[in-house]
Amino acid sequence: MGGTDAKDILGLPKTPLSLTQEKKSRPQKESHRKPDGISREVYALTGGVAPLMPSIDVTHLKRRPPPDEKVAWQWLPVKSSARNDDLQLYHWVRVVNDVPPSADYSFAKYNKSVDVLKYTDDEYENHLTDPVWTKEETDQLFELCERFDLRFTVIADRFPLSRTVEELKDRYYSVTRALLRATAQSPSELANHPLMKEPYDMTRDRERKRALSMVLSQSRHQEKKDAEILAEAKRITEMRLAARRAAEPDVPANENIGSVSPSSNSQLPATAVAPSTLTMADYTSTLASLRMLHVYLRTYGLEQMVQAASSAVGLRTIKRVEQTLQDLGVNLKPKVPTKTVCDEHLELRKEILTLLNLQKQYKESEGSSHREGTYAAMPDTPKDRVFASEPFSFGGERPIKKEQKRKGPGRQSDTPSPAHKRPRKMKASDL
Amino acid sequence: MTSNSSSKKQAQDPPESSEPTLKSLRTKMTKSDEKKKLKDIEISVPLVYGNIAFWLGKKASEYQSHKWAVYVRGATNEDISVVIKKVVFQLHSSFNNPTRVIEEPPFEVSESGWGEFEIAITLHFHSDVCDKPLSLYHHLKLYPEDESGPLTMKKPVVVEHYDEIVFPDPSESFLARVQNHPALTFPRLPSGYNLPAPMQVDDNGKKKRGDTKDHSLGQWFTSFSEADELLQLAAARQQVQAHIAKLRRQISLLEGQNQTIKTGSDP
Repeated sequence: MGGTDAKDILGLPKTPLSLTQEKKSRPQKESHRKPDGISREVYALTGGVAPLMPSIDVTHLKRRPPPDEKVAWQWLPVKSSARNDDLQLYHWVRVVNDVPPSADYSFAKYNKSVDVLKYTDDEYENHLTDPVWTKEETDQLFELCERFDLRFTVIADRFPLSRTVEELKDRYYSVTRALLRATAQSPSELANHPLMKEPYDMTRDRERKRALSMVLSQSRHQEKKDAEILAEAKRITEMRLAARRAAEPDVPANENIGSVSPSSNSQLPATAVAPSTLTMADYTSTLASLRMLHVYLRTYGLEQMVQAASSAVGLRTIKRVEQTLQDLGVNLKPKVPTKTVCDEHLELRKEILTLLNLQKQYKESEGSSHREGTYAAMPDTPKDRVFASEPFSFGGERPIKKEQKRKGPGRQSDTPSPAHKRPRKMKASDL
Repeated sequence: MTSNSSSKKQAQDPPESSEPTLKSLRTKMTKSDEKKKLKDIEISVPLVYGNIAFWLGKKASEYQSHKWAVYVRGATNEDISVVIKKVVFQLHSSFNNPTRVIEEPPFEVSESGWGEFEIAITLHFHSDVCDKPLSLYHHLKLYPEDESGPLTMKKPVVVEHYDEIVFPDPSESFLARVQNHPALTFPRLPSGYNLPAPMQVDDNGKKKRGDTKDHSLGQWFTSFSEADELLQLAAARQQVQAHIAKLRRQISLLEGQNQTIKTGSDP
């Protein structure tokens, strides 16, 4: 049916064959009644045919009230149990069959209030005196508490003498506790009272608020650092647990690790110093956990140290380090892992990490200088694969397995022209 | 019982009843000293482990196509039984008695079969060395890398791995016992640190020689040398360091330029 419209638009003559076809199909279509409950246009969206599997029962689509009910809306007075004065308010009410609804005002159930205890003067004298608080103050406090439903920030604002929120809370809760204890019939009913089970501690509250505000005021940078440190700590504790499980129980623990905790975040300067201290902590902790094993394979030890070095960097950087190692012709896992070889290998990895960081730094500062409209000194090596095409001549040992195709031995230039760049897995823009 | 306390026992021999208190006292007093002394000392035992497999050729049957031996030996073919008490090879469950315990050097298991599987090699050490065993894993290789080549009875398939056992905090008795033994690398002791003289070793005549220098399969052993790898690493490090220096120069150059741009408007 869309075809005829298209032809209309294009101004093409309609073929006599299609015309007769349309005439036939149209009466057929009109015999389909649109089903109730959906408008005609919506129905037409589905192609004018009922869906094969009705997703919603058609009768649910538009619920009309049953015809035997008579519904009207009336402006009626409302009675609320929440009000205790005589104020008479009115609102629209849905009346069915002339019977107005008899339920309470629907929002009355939200009218809750706190049960603030009241004390007599005697009780005050006996149980509730306090060196810091006078009776008048306590009375005022309690009155405010009742008025403002224990919203201590408001109460603190209204309190005539300036006291902190924690002090007010402390006084209120200790008075209530003392009262409860004094007036309780039996100790059992007290035991379940929430105030008895978890008493208010002013100092703890202060600490909690301070910690919260610290967390709230953290910059994103610090947040990331915290997450890093927490991940580190988790990894360290897991390693220590594993090592301790394997080792004897009375080996003294290494104190270096205990100092790295999230709360020391404020002490760490938010500069490049922090990442390096983190890695040093990694190494010392890895060494410590290795020591605790009492015996380990050197390849295992190297693995752990490599992991420690790469724990603070992303997967992409790790892959780049490995790629660089391959380019340099170094085995990713040394074939002859003696102590010297492993130490050298680790140092090499660290240096490669430094190199990659420097490259990133260089790119950033180059980018910013470009923005300033200057031409930076162009480097003469491709940035991402630093050792891509440099021939290295030492000992003559070359890795046998190579996935990349190497150019012929004649190539000695440092800068490969773009046309000859071999397919790289990662681009410079990936950084 | 830590290795430290065992060495103290030998040296001082305290009475039984007061042992715990004495031990704790001693640990408190000398722990820091001991720690300082033994902190950077480690004993390492270079090992080679792997397998050699011969194709049986005409005599090969479906279930016994290869004759192989899996072993652990000292990297320089010295006697590692000075450190290792026994080695347990865990073979595939289809073998008879798959748990083979070898208590004397040479630490190896010879078998015949057709399949390649992972073998768990557990090294158990003498009590004064370490209480905990150490596990290695080796995948038994029977068929050569080059799958298309013909199998030959003459040359076996040899797969060997080099690794070292590291003892990061060896006990005094261990140190004393193994000083000057060729099978391991003995650390340089801090000056003034004196080890007690080694205890009398067993009658040499009775003990079988534990080194593998004259092993029947010795001709197939690989010789591992760290020289090549060190050379590789040194060259690589040099290159990386050169690049780092260059980049650093370039970065400071750039930053200098940026500075001048920023302050360009100043008179």
